[in-house]
Amino acid sequence: MTKRRTRFTETMTGTVTLTGEREARPVRLDLEVRTDTVLLPWRTTRAQARGRLRVDGWEGATPVAGEMEISPLARRRIRYRLTFRRDGRTYLLDGWKSPSPRHPLTSMTVLPFTVHDEERREAGRGTVRFSLSGALLPFLASFRFPAEDPGPAQLAPRWNGRPGRTEVWYTTLTDPSTGTGVWLHHEITAPEDGSRAYAHGWVAVCPPGGPVDHARFGPEPVTPDAAGFRATDALAGPGRLRGSCGPYTWDLTEHQEGATLHTFPAWAWRRPLLPAAQIVPGGRARYTGTVRGPGTDLTLSDAPGATGRIYGHGNARRWTWLHADLGGGDVLEVVAAVARRPGLDRLPPLVFLRLRRAGRDWPRRGTRTALGWGGLGRFRAEVGLPSWTVTGRAGPRRIRVTVDQPEERTLALEYTDPDGSRAVCRNSVTADARIVLERWWGGWRPEAAWTLRGTAHAEVGER
Amino acid sequence: MNTATEGLLAALLAEEDPAAVRAVAARLDGALAAMPRTARAAMAAAARAVDVCARARHGRPLARLTPQERERTVTALASRPGTAHLMDLVKVPVLLAAGTEYHARRATPAARPVAPADPPLDCTPSAQWPDRQGADAVVVGSGAGGAIAARTLARAGLRVLVLEEGRHHPTAEFARRTPLDRFGALYRDGGASVMLGAPGVLLPTGRAVGGTTIVNSGTCYRTPDRVLARWRDSFGLPLADAPRFARQLDEVERTLTVARQPADVLGANGRLTLLGAERLGWRADTLRRNAPGCRGSCECVVGCPTGAKQSVQLSVLPDACAHGARLVTSARVDRLLVERDRPGGPRVAGVAARRPDGTAFEILAPLVVVAAGALQSPLLLRRSGLGGHPMTGRNLAVHPATSVAGRFAEPVAGTPSVLQSAGVEELHDRGILLEATAPPPGLSSFVLPGAGRALRSGLEGAGHLATLGAMIADRPGGGVTGRERAVSWYRLDPRDGRRLLDAVRAMGELLLAAGAEEVFTGVPGAPSVRSTRELDAALETVTPRQLHLSAFHPTGTVALGADARRAPADPLGRLRGVRGVLIADGSALPSCPEVNPQVTIMALALAVSEAACGAEGG
Repeated sequence: MTKRRTRFTETMTGTVTLTGEREARPVRLDLEVRTDTVLLPWRTTRAQARGRLRVDGWEGATPVAGEMEISPLARRRIRYRLTFRRDGRTYLLDGWKSPSPRHPLTSMTVLPFTVHDEERREAGRGTVRFSLSGALLPFLASFRFPAEDPGPAQLAPRWNGRPGRTEVWYTTLTDPSTGTGVWLHHEITAPEDGSRAYAHGWVAVCPPGGPVDHARFGPEPVTPDAAGFRATDALAGPGRLRGSCGPYTWDLTEHQEGATLHTFPAWAWRRPLLPAAQIVPGGRARYTGTVRGPGTDLTLSDAPGATGRIYGHGNARRWTWLHADLGGGDVLEVVAAVARRPGLDRLPPLVFLRLRRAGRDWPRRGTRTALGWGGLGRFRAEVGLPSWTVTGRAGPRRIRVTVDQPEERTLALEYTDPDGSRAVCRNSVTADARIVLERWWGGWRPEAAWTLRGTAHAEVGER
Repeated sequence: MNTATEGLLAALLAEEDPAAVRAVAARLDGALAAMPRTARAAMAAAARAVDVCARARHGRPLARLTPQERERTVTALASRPGTAHLMDLVKVPVLLAAGTEYHARRATPAARPVAPADPPLDCTPSAQWPDRQGADAVVVGSGAGGAIAARTLARAGLRVLVLEEGRHHPTAEFARRTPLDRFGALYRDGGASVMLGAPGVLLPTGRAVGGTTIVNSGTCYRTPDRVLARWRDSFGLPLADAPRFARQLDEVERTLTVARQPADVLGANGRLTLLGAERLGWRADTLRRNAPGCRGSCECVVGCPTGAKQSVQLSVLPDACAHGARLVTSARVDRLLVERDRPGGPRVAGVAARRPDGTAFEILAPLVVVAAGALQSPLLLRRSGLGGHPMTGRNLAVHPATSVAGRFAEPVAGTPSVLQSAGVEELHDRGILLEATAPPPGLSSFVLPGAGRALRSGLEGAGHLATLGAMIADRPGGGVTGRERAVSWYRLDPRDGRRLLDAVRAMGELLLAAGAEEVFTGVPGAPSVRSTRELDAALETVTPRQLHLSAFHPTGTVALGADARRAPADPLGRLRGVRGVLIADGSALPSCPEVNPQVTIMALALAVSEAACGAEGG
């Protein structure tokens, strides 16, 4: 059975009196809490909490991070230990609720706390309260019980010998010193007609400004491997990418940096109900090693990129894909596709977009961008070349993604589906992208914007 | 104060001046205000009952009788065997109030020496304490055991918080207020804590920063070797091995600057005791005390007004605070927080406490030292769900005590004197320790015989009384029940009853040998005797229940011991059934220590807290 975790958000407001001051200041504490197990109230659960502390008179929100001990029944305590930095000093906010059957509401909603400085001297004390009228519904609605992130273990093959399946390990990365983009593609195709499955792939290297050069390996019989992809001259497994293909050789170590980014809903990867699904284990990764070939001699050190996985019945009728490393741990992944199944092929492209910012994935619901609310409010894609766009709105935010794939920096390759049909993929690992995120504050106001020049990885596929 | 009570006061004290009666009534009212509601109700009921007797006898309430009629009413009640004991109980607070009032009227206020500044304490009233706090160790109670445990843990580098239910009383406050005022403030229940049983006796305990050490007499006996041998051999306490325990006793004596009381301020009470012992050829000496530079204020039991007595708030707690310990005062600990879902069994996590206004606060700490005293520690454990051991709250040992006064021709009071000055150890091997114990000026602790004019003349002649007290090493025969309020009960062992009568005889004999004209035995049938023959005759038919008994030094309610069935705590003071709880007060003593227990409690607390922080021998 899949091990599940718990995630929720909590907001409390109240007052704090800082040591040396007579007047209490209004304070607001917003937290996102994560646990590694399902939160069961009769057990004691340790959790990680991070969020923001806003104190009247302090400029902006102060990031807080720490841990919680959630034990409302066993220990009758819900403890918060959060650290934050201010004016170059580290402070600890330590407080706990003491649930009591005599005063269930008060004791579960009132959090008295004390703030200590680095020398354990008291720097302030206060109380924040969880508002049942204002905060309860968002609190309850925020609860999620995601499956435990298997991390690099998701590089293990999904294909179990059934015909009519295709499985892909692909890695794109950018050498930050030269701006060269690298694309490693490893694929197992099991033809629908029951003929023997084969493994194949390629390596593509694109210096800044182009042109793109590439070399293919395979096809060859599938070599079973429990951890990842293996062929005679190529290996793609947890933490390691190695191979040679024509004039090219590569030997890279991979360090995944975060949780899996589920571009498609997480269930679509666990249960193959959709024609195909894609995930990015780690969300983003760093690569160290060498890539050598004609005119290419890259020695990489913590080069940004990502390894994605695709498993399904084959390629879409039309699709676009974008992986954009936005820096600072933020990343944007977009897939917009028109399926080949009868009926579905008449729909406009379904957009699957996931923006990871400050450790949070937006939009929260996996099907939000593709389906909206019963089709209303779904994200839209305008697919074309050399430029394509995706736009959409979820909650108080809207996003516009514009991708440019100049022809000289784009490589066109032919894909073969398990049913034998063919598609043309135009891929650029040195694409440009412009991403604008806005938030509604009575009017749309810019919240964040990123411009990627030659560091976006994008693809458009057509038939 | 109602007219029935004022009538009773006028009758008991043969006081005809209404203004004086009202003044005594006001003093009594002040003393009763600090006592529990039941004590106040009992006093009011007693006054009404006497009033009813007056109506039945004379057709008018007590307040409207003539002085002669009042005299007849109360003397009749005081002489009847059935009501005499009840009248004696009523007389205790009345004598305290009257003694204070008459002393204040007689004595010209002497110029008090300026009280010295106390060593600094890091004291925070609970009202100013945050609702949530963390620490390395919490000590519940700041008395003898709690203070030394706090100091030991603080010296070992732990962040220690000491929670005290009472408040901090600096020496300057003692110098400012009358003894009776201080009496109500420093004692739990205003000093009216009673042990139920046959017979019911008063068991006063202190409640302030410093615990009972602030109101004890300062007598510092080392634990007798025979007691230590019993604890080691019968109760399996290796730390009570005499040579090993001597290190802790030495350390405590050094901390408290214990020394034999010099004879210069001994006072007539002590000198007469030593004289009587010398004439009888008995072993006696001045007592070893923790009061260097004692000026003979004779107010030890209501807080030393000169700061000479080294109670723990002057000697131990300042050192603990210097090592980082902090005190939170006016903080009653509701319960220990226990985490029962810990791997390896329940573990303490801290304490939940309450301020005087009823608001709660909590402190989390992995180590909690329970040092709330033998009467309160078992209650705290019960409130925390940790009182499941059948011996928790049982095994209560006390020192049953009685006193005898001798009237001398020369004045005994009036000069500087030490409250508890000389000890007679002739009978100590038989479990009887005699100590010369003078009452504080104006506070007569001895229940004078009679009522009306007889009582009044006794009160006015109190300055000629020398008082001896005897305490008996008992067989533990009591217990403490309850969760919020301690209800203690006690059954006097027949052997201890016989010892009490022996003690009364010995004290009478000693006083007569010292030259007393008359000895007040406290025995109803023969309140005063003038020779040993009369004394023997008076004691022939007396039972221990007829004596005026009080009790001191409660111990043993959460005893240490190797036998898990008999002792709630293990030989190192760790409470069984939970991790992180240390017992370090009088309740930890396995049996009666046979001497004034402050040094014993502190040494034991030192030993267990050193063991707890791995600093033993360091």
